[in-house]
Amino acid sequence: MEIEIEAENIYLKNKVISKLDIFVEDFINILKKYTDYVVVSGYVSILFGRSRGTEDIDLLINKIDMDTFLKFHNELIEKKYWFLNAENPIELFGMLEGGLAIRIAVKDTVIPNIELKYVKSQLDRISLKEHKVAQLDMYSINISPLELQIAFKLYLGSDKDIEDALYLNEIFSAHLSRFKIKHFMDILGVKRGDYGFEI
Amino acid sequence: MDSKFDREQNLKQRLDFIRFYARWVKTVPNEIWSKQQAEFIDSLFDNAKKFSLTREKYLKTIRR
Repeated sequence: MEIEIEAENIYLKNKVISKLDIFVEDFINILKKYTDYVVVSGYVSILFGRSRGTEDIDLLINKIDMDTFLKFHNELIEKKYWFLNAENPIELFGMLEGGLAIRIAVKDTVIPNIELKYVKSQLDRISLKEHKVAQLDMYSINISPLELQIAFKLYLGSDKDIEDALYLNEIFSAHLSRFKIKHFMDILGVKRGDYGFEI
Repeated sequence: MDSKFDREQNLKQRLDFIRFYARWVKTVPNEIWSKQQAEFIDSLFDNAKKFSLTREKYLKTIRR
């Protein structure tokens, strides 16, 4: 793997793009016109080579007003997406405002889908504010800081999540701040040493 | 059978594989690992289209 890291940018050149990558890129190209975003959770490890599928892509966004949401909603409908939780845009906006996630997929499909929610916790805000930028040949994606990603995956704690954490830890071993990972683990209350590998 | 022991063994084996796979990914050019990954993910992607899953059934499934 050839990775170059420069400030907040992680350059990943010559990656063969999958249909999942295209799905994410297409959606983000619409979303970023309306608000800041950051990709969190499983897709981050998939982007950097983890060989597994996923049914949803988790995205955090800053709060937006209803008018902006309606424009975003209308563009998605126009571009043949649909919302899985509800059809009424006011109801969908209310779900976001109530701290719930809304799910969006290409019309008449359910997998894969985008799980979109507002930033809520302090760590969500750090994810958004201190995001990294994965720079691919033709596009870029805002992703959660890797140290936070690893700590959060350990916090979630399923086998799949621990595997994702280990994968990122191995791939970026030379670039990660152990101090930051442990700091985020402490905030999340993740016990050290009970997940099968050393940080 | 001690199921806890099995789970731990299973996770250990899976983590060993992740280490092995990550080591391989780090040693080959991006074109190589990503081509294999894209073929695998694309096949899952295509397969997902064959599910006749409605929005309602999907949401019910993930809420369980």
